[in-house]
Amino acid sequence: MLELPSPGLPDFDYVRAVTPEEVTDLLLQHPDDARMFMGGTDIFVQMRDGVLAPKVLIDVKHLPGMVDIAFDPQNGLSLGAAVDMNSLARHPAVLEHYPILAEATHTVASYQIRTRATMGGNLCNASPAADTAPVALVLEAVFVAHGPDGERHIPATEFFLDVGKSALAPGEFLVRIDFPGPPAGWAGRYLKLGRNAQGDLAIVGVSAMGYPDDTAASGYRFRIALASVAPTPIRVPDTEDALAQGPITDQSLSAAAAAARDTARPIDDVRASARYRQEMVEVLTRRALDDVWTRLSKER
Amino acid sequence: MTLHEISLVVNGTREFAQVAPNVTLLTLLREHLGVTGVKNGCATGECGACTVLMNGEPVNACLVLAVEVDGAEIITVEGLAPSSDHLDPLQQYFVEHSGTQCGFCTPGVLISARALLDRNPHPSREEILDSLRGNLCRCTGYLAIVRAIEATAAGGD
Amino acid sequence: MQSQPNVPDAPSPVGESVTRIDAMEKVTGEALFADDLPFGPGLLYGHIVRSPHPHALIKKVDFSKALEVPGVKAVVTGADTVDKIGLYLKDRYTLCRDRVRYVGDPVAGVVAVSEAVAEAACKLVEVDYEVLQPVIDPVQGAQPDAPLLHPDLGEYPVANFIFPKSGTNISNHFKVRKGDVESAWDQCDVIVERSFRVPILQHVPIEPHIAVAQVDRSESITLWTSSQSPFAQRNLIAESLNISQSQVRVIAPYVGGGFGSKAGVSMEALAVEMARKVPGHPIKLRLTREEEFFTSFVRQGLVAKTRVGAAKDGKLLAMKTEYYWDAGAYTEYGVNVTRASGYSSTGPYEIPNVHADSYCVYTNHPVGGPMRGFGMPEIHWGIEQIMDIVAEELQMDKVEFRLKNCVKDGSIIVTGSKMHPVGLSECISKAAEAIDWGKDEPASAPHKRRGKGLAIMWKAPAMPPNAGSSAWVRFNEDATVSVGIGGQEIGQGTFTVMAQMAAAVLGVPFESVRISGPLDTKYSPYEWQTVASRLTWSMGNAVVAAANDARRQVLELAAEHWDEDVDDLDIKDGQVISYKSEEALPLKNLVVYGLPKPDDQGWRGGPIIGHGKFMPTYVTGLDPETGQGPRSVVHYTTGCQAVDLEVDSQTGQITILRVAAAYDVGKAINPAQVRAQIEGGVVQGASTAIFEQLQLVVGVPRNASLVDYRIATSVDMPYEIIPIIVEVPQDDGPWGARGVGEHSMVPTAPAIANAVADALGIRILDLPITAEKVSLAVLEKEAQS
Repeated sequence: MLELPSPGLPDFDYVRAVTPEEVTDLLLQHPDDARMFMGGTDIFVQMRDGVLAPKVLIDVKHLPGMVDIAFDPQNGLSLGAAVDMNSLARHPAVLEHYPILAEATHTVASYQIRTRATMGGNLCNASPAADTAPVALVLEAVFVAHGPDGERHIPATEFFLDVGKSALAPGEFLVRIDFPGPPAGWAGRYLKLGRNAQGDLAIVGVSAMGYPDDTAASGYRFRIALASVAPTPIRVPDTEDALAQGPITDQSLSAAAAAARDTARPIDDVRASARYRQEMVEVLTRRALDDVWTRLSKER
Repeated sequence: MTLHEISLVVNGTREFAQVAPNVTLLTLLREHLGVTGVKNGCATGECGACTVLMNGEPVNACLVLAVEVDGAEIITVEGLAPSSDHLDPLQQYFVEHSGTQCGFCTPGVLISARALLDRNPHPSREEILDSLRGNLCRCTGYLAIVRAIEATAAGGD
Repeated sequence: MQSQPNVPDAPSPVGESVTRIDAMEKVTGEALFADDLPFGPGLLYGHIVRSPHPHALIKKVDFSKALEVPGVKAVVTGADTVDKIGLYLKDRYTLCRDRVRYVGDPVAGVVAVSEAVAEAACKLVEVDYEVLQPVIDPVQGAQPDAPLLHPDLGEYPVANFIFPKSGTNISNHFKVRKGDVESAWDQCDVIVERSFRVPILQHVPIEPHIAVAQVDRSESITLWTSSQSPFAQRNLIAESLNISQSQVRVIAPYVGGGFGSKAGVSMEALAVEMARKVPGHPIKLRLTREEEFFTSFVRQGLVAKTRVGAAKDGKLLAMKTEYYWDAGAYTEYGVNVTRASGYSSTGPYEIPNVHADSYCVYTNHPVGGPMRGFGMPEIHWGIEQIMDIVAEELQMDKVEFRLKNCVKDGSIIVTGSKMHPVGLSECISKAAEAIDWGKDEPASAPHKRRGKGLAIMWKAPAMPPNAGSSAWVRFNEDATVSVGIGGQEIGQGTFTVMAQMAAAVLGVPFESVRISGPLDTKYSPYEWQTVASRLTWSMGNAVVAAANDARRQVLELAAEHWDEDVDDLDIKDGQVISYKSEEALPLKNLVVYGLPKPDDQGWRGGPIIGHGKFMPTYVTGLDPETGQGPRSVVHYTTGCQAVDLEVDSQTGQITILRVAAAYDVGKAINPAQVRAQIEGGVVQGASTAIFEQLQLVVGVPRNASLVDYRIATSVDMPYEIIPIIVEVPQDDGPWGARGVGEHSMVPTAPAIANAVADALGIRILDLPITAEKVSLAVLEKEAQS
């Protein structure tokens, strides 16, 4: 028969976890049947679709630290994995020191989704279109997982393995995302192209940041990450190196955008063609770099 | 499948229920508690017809499990009016400005609008439009809704 | 044809923007929709087993395992159906008997104690299919060697104005042969030929389809459903079961958006078939949003081939059109879209030589049905672009071109009929002026381009020539008024407008009038359907007649009571008054209890109840070979939309700055509600223009969810919508009114396409005008130069 999403959710057991060990134990006990969840905005949809069918859902939102946000100038920002996106986006430390995080989360869906959706969940879902992923990459975040051997620190660049597949090992779940203090004088931008003017899934997402750095020939370093144009969100190191060599001109920014476009390996799907995505990587990268460069060169 | 006992406040009234984990807040409200103002439009958090306030913030009730709302305070459109002879100003202005046509998106829209005005009493048009991204309306084209919200904000709320 | 005097100052509250009568219920959440109705613990639920194939024979259905699932009460299949069902053509069984014709076609229905149990049991129904080659393109489907979807087409009962071609997939062929196009081409200085494609799309009502049915042991059927057409549903379902209409009762509470999808019969009959298996139990069937996208009604797709010729002075001389409608698996409703499009195929222009063929083609696609515009948005997509191109080649201003050629009072239109007085020219001028037509305005950024475009339209209510309305009006003891109607409040404001009309005729305050809802075919007076933008005009006439009947009864009673002449009496603000003697009596009590005779000698009068009806009597047939006839339709509503937009030349994204939308509504009974229809229609039109397409790959829907079938959200709204009301009275409309509900979404897509062409020099001929299409077209244009 024709398979369609169900009217309701399938049967499962619900556990509100009290300790991280409890979660790890459950995950190890039921390797294919237990799953942790936070906001649920991705997982419940996938469960209705029949894509996911966990027998046990473990609610980790109430574990100690999961919804904490802490900042200090030395260590940077420490974000509990279950902080909802709205709380994240209005936190004073985020607005002052990591506005790109607020910018990226603001592009997600709708206000009512963001009351529940979490950056942790967005990252763990490991969709190539995740809006917070390219931002985590350019901020060089470190993902902190709790597992059978305690805490494990996974750099963002090592976290995304494939479509829907993260580096979390059996029994591990994300508890925290640590963002080092960004370099002084930095400017960043997240640009996203969807079908609606805002709020759609990313057809293409570009996160770019730049900062003054005397060790770079151009005087600046850039970090650029792309969403929706490869099986995982990706940095573009060759493009970044070229910009570090410099000088930063209209031409070199164009070349950087074109290079980013050539790194992308998008696919055709119901949302957009590979060709359009490829072209739009160049357009969005150029616009993001222009914006960042305008702000950087103002500072100088 | 184990049933869970929950206790929550809905529109100012304490409610008790015994629910299976796979029952959503939407189903709890509509089918267990008879609160039918909240609507079911898509079950995927896309249309916003099921928007309710949970501890003061708007959520899609179709994407919240009933077991998660133990101890929570829920407000639906039926609970917006501060008393039975006194509407929420938003409701009044929606009536005056024809912010509703078929009425199906209206409960969710009113909740999103109430939450907006609570956190931002004098929103710009852009902010209003942005806050309504998750409430689909197929009848009004959104303009009358925006006018009603602007009138409410200007009217001293 | 009745003639009504032009009433410039209609009696209050006609012409006033009174508050909607249903607004309070809707903002408090008290308004009840079908899924809100309580049915008690005996309520059962249904789920449908649907075909995974676009085209296949059903060899065997085995539901024995499904019946064994605890909580399952019954399973129904095509074998349980009695007869075919359909509005203009009876071409489908509610559940498939021997053949499935689209992905999603119902094969079996399971009734159980919950949706979850029903769904689980559906998975255990085993169906053996013999897969057949599908038809997925209407041009291909119209060819003689195409696989046949309906081999028995020739035997299907069909309305006498629909012409199916037995032995083919063509379920209707409408022809226009007017004048002599072949000779006319030689007279033309400019000839333009283009093909246009319109994809299948869906109404996306925020409330999905839902029906609850119960069959009593006495075999009478009650259906509670979100419905635009309770009487049509009663009729079609009764016919399909070979029972009396009086045995079927349809109750229709508020509708959460219809746009045509809840007219006729789509999934409602499934609930009835399931209910027949479990007499005494109500059984609820709700479509999930995913099912909503392709298993109720969709808007049919279109391949249009058009050729237009004009003289160098700008006069249109000839037009040749071929429409191939991608009408889906069953075309019982869609055949009339084919017809309406045929007799409207020139658009609102006077063209002396016309050759048109409109083919309704069966395809193995979802079922095409009525959607706001009923073929008009689809055909105007091509018509208004090709007219723009003709104007360009003539080097004539596009507004001037339209003003020269558009229909006016007395124009001979495509069917040879004469156009009635019409304000289209005024609509064009006003819409163009409102967006500063002719003024080149700068774009807001270097990578953006600004453009202006416009499109005009016409539409007549597409319905049988004898579609009727009826109404009753009665008083309560305190002189509040109850109005009974059979037309549905689907958001368009009909309950409010009917109350206004009744109040105006009766001379009572608007606040004292109530509409008797929810609609219930057991108690409500007959109404053909809530479609075609016909209610303000047709049902309005019936309400006016009923109110006049009630008014007459009141005045006759008072005249007798005062021994005066009826002509000297009136009702004002709820009082009967005499202009002659200056006597006055409040309506209270006399409208139910009558008035006492003097000296305690008895009583006169009694409960006042007025009734009225309206049915057009003057629509003539059209010659099946030529499409010509003296009066093809009741009337046309015309309008114009002018769009001022910006395009991001790199991403292709469109930002609509201004839309001016002018419509000749004859008389705006409630101007605020007319503006509401215009605003809503513009946004729905823009949404279909830019985002919408049901993507079907070999008949399989690929984006049947709100995640990937995008519609306009708040942030996609045009910055400014300028509604303009033009009033050239309709001779037989209440105070001159005609409808506008559909018309506001008809020209939006071509107006946007024309503006994009103005901005970028690029024409998109296939809907939707996605950012991707525009962006890649710009790149292609740059590569060529």
